[in-house]
Amino acid sequence: MDSLKPVVSRRKFVEIFGAVSAMGATSMFVSGCGSTSSGSATDTITFGQGADPRGLDPAYVDDGESAKIMCNIYETLLCYDKSSCDIKPCLAKEYKISDDGLTYTLTLEQGVKFHDGTDFNAAAVKKSIERQLEPNRNDDMPYASFVFGTASKGDGVKTVEATDDHTVTITLAAASTPFLKNLAMVLASPIVSPTALDKNNGNLNEAPCGTGPYSFVSWSKGQNVVLKANDSYWNSDKKAKTKNVIFKFISENASRVTALNNGECDIIDGIDDTVVDTIKNAGNSLFDEDGMNINYMAYNTTSSIFSDVNARRAFSKAVDVATLVKSLYGDYASAATSVMPLWMAPYDKDVAQVAYDADAAKKELAALNITQVKCITYSNPRPYNTKGGQVLAEAIQGMLDKVGVKVNIDTYDWTTYKTKVQTEAYDICFYGWTGDNGDPDNFMNLLADSNVSMNVARYDNSAYKALIAEGLATPEGDARNDIYLQCEKMVADQAVWLPISHSKDLAGYNPKVKDFVIHPTGVVWLWGATKSA
Amino acid sequence: MASADIAQKRPAVPSSPEPSTPPESGPKAAEKPESLFLEFWYSLKGNKAAMVSLVVIGILVLIAILTAIVPGILPYDPYAQDLSASFQPPSAAHWFGTDQQGRDIFSRILIGTQVSLSVGLLAVAISLAVGVTLGAIAGYKGGAIDTVIMRIMDMMLAIPSILLAIAFMAALGKGVDKAVIAIGLVSIPEYARIVRSQILSVKENDYVAAARVIGDSDAKIIFRHVLPNVLPSIIVRATLGISGAILDAAALGFLGLGVQPPQAEWGDMLGRGRNYIFSAPYTMIFPGLAITITVLAFNLLGDGIRDAVDPKSRRR
Amino acid sequence: MSKYIVKRIAQSLLVLLGVSIIVFLIMRVFSPDPAPVVLGEHATEDSMKAWRDANGLNDPIPVQYWTFLTGALRGDLGTSYYTHSTVASEIASRFPATIELALVAIIIASAAGIALGVVSAVHKGTAIDATSMVLALVGVSMPIFWLGILLIILFAGMWHILPSGGRVDPLLQPTGGSGLYIIDTLFSGNFAALGNVLQHLILPALALSMYSMAIITRMTRSSMLDTLNEDYVRTARAKGLREKKVTKHHALRNAMLPVTTVIGLQLGSLLGGAVLTETVFAWPGIGKFTVECILKSDFPVVQGVVLLIGVIFVVINLVVDIIYAYLDPRIKYSKEEA
Repeated sequence: MDSLKPVVSRRKFVEIFGAVSAMGATSMFVSGCGSTSSGSATDTITFGQGADPRGLDPAYVDDGESAKIMCNIYETLLCYDKSSCDIKPCLAKEYKISDDGLTYTLTLEQGVKFHDGTDFNAAAVKKSIERQLEPNRNDDMPYASFVFGTASKGDGVKTVEATDDHTVTITLAAASTPFLKNLAMVLASPIVSPTALDKNNGNLNEAPCGTGPYSFVSWSKGQNVVLKANDSYWNSDKKAKTKNVIFKFISENASRVTALNNGECDIIDGIDDTVVDTIKNAGNSLFDEDGMNINYMAYNTTSSIFSDVNARRAFSKAVDVATLVKSLYGDYASAATSVMPLWMAPYDKDVAQVAYDADAAKKELAALNITQVKCITYSNPRPYNTKGGQVLAEAIQGMLDKVGVKVNIDTYDWTTYKTKVQTEAYDICFYGWTGDNGDPDNFMNLLADSNVSMNVARYDNSAYKALIAEGLATPEGDARNDIYLQCEKMVADQAVWLPISHSKDLAGYNPKVKDFVIHPTGVVWLWGATKSA
Repeated sequence: MASADIAQKRPAVPSSPEPSTPPESGPKAAEKPESLFLEFWYSLKGNKAAMVSLVVIGILVLIAILTAIVPGILPYDPYAQDLSASFQPPSAAHWFGTDQQGRDIFSRILIGTQVSLSVGLLAVAISLAVGVTLGAIAGYKGGAIDTVIMRIMDMMLAIPSILLAIAFMAALGKGVDKAVIAIGLVSIPEYARIVRSQILSVKENDYVAAARVIGDSDAKIIFRHVLPNVLPSIIVRATLGISGAILDAAALGFLGLGVQPPQAEWGDMLGRGRNYIFSAPYTMIFPGLAITITVLAFNLLGDGIRDAVDPKSRRR
Repeated sequence: MSKYIVKRIAQSLLVLLGVSIIVFLIMRVFSPDPAPVVLGEHATEDSMKAWRDANGLNDPIPVQYWTFLTGALRGDLGTSYYTHSTVASEIASRFPATIELALVAIIIASAAGIALGVVSAVHKGTAIDATSMVLALVGVSMPIFWLGILLIILFAGMWHILPSGGRVDPLLQPTGGSGLYIIDTLFSGNFAALGNVLQHLILPALALSMYSMAIITRMTRSSMLDTLNEDYVRTARAKGLREKKVTKHHALRNAMLPVTTVIGLQLGSLLGGAVLTETVFAWPGIGKFTVECILKSDFPVVQGVVLLIGVIFVVINLVVDIIYAYLDPRIKYSKEEA
């Protein structure tokens, strides 16, 4: 259970005690000119993000913008530690797993109430989960099958029973080590008010109601979501310290930076290295920590060129990943040496990808008679690639040009791209992954998946698949780590992917704000945050 | 007054072709074409702004052609990346600075002239060809054909052209060719309307009636007698249409729906540059200037041509 | 007259039907499959197929259109594929923002455009005339998104005197009412909020108004010059009326006729321009949202928005025509073509 705990506590918290009075004066001046801005009120923290949430019902959404808001409204049975993906009790104060790994018995906290006054109990848990189990599950629940499994695949949750008012028994169809981590996810797993579900036709997208430290006030589409402190919150450790929290939606990166420097926002995310100086020069601070993601290029292992492992290795040799990452992402992404970021899987330190060697690449590619490569990529910035796939593809195009290979790039908007990776006959493509739950299976399984939309390399190796199946059922510990290390080494040796970078989670913030937490899963916990005058 | 004609979606820069007044360049079939042209040229030559714009457009065309034939004259390879030289501010070496990938912005703007001009011209060519044909048929034939054609035009006009173009691009995918089609398609109705209303006023004229009596075919009457008379107002609209098409192309590029990389297109460059407006404002300022100057030139020229072909406005 | 109006309304309905077919063809037949985006990272081939089945995307095309049409006629535009909210509520929560922006922009454009146009016509050939004509030309030549970004850099980025985007400070946000914040804050007497709303409005409205202002300026100038040359104006002058009075009482009123038309039509095209302005200024309106929905192949929303804009466009045209007929009795309707 604690095998994943990083050697050193990885994540630092924002604890900066600025020169309160001086900063206050500056901000009075700035926001005074810009008129009454909520940035100047100490009982309100404004968080600027790039887009509206898709919705605020954990069963119906799949995006980070929703998760960031929902994690302050809802709670899960178990939750992540502040700085890692280690599991801690939350709405369930204890849990017990049977020896066969199939039965989970959870003892619930008592005296907890939902924001609408409904009691939190085993029946509420049962209802929250059962609506996402087959046959209740509907096609619009993007994470239900990931978290709770699918009967046809023989995995996931078989039954949820309320043993008594405060005990829940969950029975799995097959042992699954990541299940515990799934229960802490902000997507699908949070426990929602059963009364609210009845009242809102089973969909809380616009009327979220949970047990969390903040309760929902309003959502003005395209503008903001307003939350207020939950006065009757049960857990004194996580009681909200600031009265109002506002999530403001500003799509343009540059505008979000302006909003921060203008005092219209206290914290902004979704920024890249080019605005760091602008943020710092305005007296604001920067938060950066390694994120749980991988930005990669995939070889189509079924294409005529790259079904040959030597061709893949030769191509990889032509790409100077370190220089590429440095110039594209500056200090705000680290060059990837393995699929999983090292903080998440420290055992990956022994993994090495094909080394950069342009001369060798040129010879080998010429010998293999490779002169043209068809590449598809996406245009939009993604969390794991703030510059967008097009810029990345163009950079690699430039490097391959030097070794005599012409890369033909077709760029698509993300929507179209997701279809194209399934239908187009490409040789290489660009993709990425943001971890859901901190479990290695969540990353390494991508290369074993039968869905080409996830396994864009179309890697189909029975030895690899056997390792993945074994890892799924092995309890956490050295044996399990060893399995995933073997997976990593296979991916590197066979050059299935060219791992490029792990991007950092970046946020700009006003130094008057302290103690907010950006978790490795990408969510933002604001209950501990305070703002000085 | 033909009520439908009010709905000109984009009466771009017209000082007179408002729907209420009769077509400004009424039939002047009596004059000989050469003398008409000379008169037009003298009039245009007297218009300083139009001549300046003509020179600017000439330079732009020259740049587009030269960079296409001898790309070597560009100071740098517009596609060559140098990741170690990204975001360099304007200097003697890089007049307009460098972009994210260390490419010379000045070279990219020069070569981008090709895209903007060809999108402008080709899109207008499409709308002209289809729009004029449809408008001529509608106006000349009248009756049910007229109704069907013009109602379809109304339908297209009722959708904001930028949304229509975006939807086309989303469906077709990126690329200059697709942008040309999308932009060309959405402005077809404007041309169809202008031509139709002009034809309506021309076709009752004596010489058209005479041609009919002689037994000329419809096509011959349209091309021989009717179209030449509506040509001036079409030329004016087309010149202004080029500037509109360049702006539309830039808007598509700005929204990330323009060209395929690594092609240089001004709107696309501007769209990419907007993320760096503080750290590297030159990445968006120069492409924006290039667009503005080009569009301005075509607008000035269009104005000049209109003044030249329209004696009424020349009096002013 | 009433017969004419009935006929125009019937034509308009036909136009709207056509609009829905065009949008349907582009979005449903030619656009990318929405399933991967709707279902997200964990989508599988099976789940996507199930989703398409459930949403009728595997039905024959005519059946799909029929389903949509019958729904729309019942007033049900469906629900967004992506957010699962009804299209009506998605539109209702964003449309007032666009309307407010467009109305303020058209007011700025008309006031400034008419003033500039009249002044240049009266002072034809002078430096004033030349300056306003140059302004007008630059106004139509500048990409609206570029102008918007320049305004943000100056007013918000460098001088910090105006906000960079958004509609209002969230804590001052008026609740309920019309959704037009100027009106809502005015009626509730909350002048602090009104001030804040206006501060947020000024830059986007200015950027959006530029193009229309240029058109209106030019139209006013040329229309004024026309009327100043008309016989009755000359007569008025000959009668010894002072030039100011001539301008004001005789010329201006008659010159306004074509200008009215253009203003009405500009209101329609502003809705298109709002797409770009909203993107640049993070304005929570329908334009930016529609672009996002087009890119996500969210057909029901796009169809709903385009139909709504179509209705507005058609209504504006109708109203403009009727006003025109009212102002200009010379127009006869008996000869109206099909």
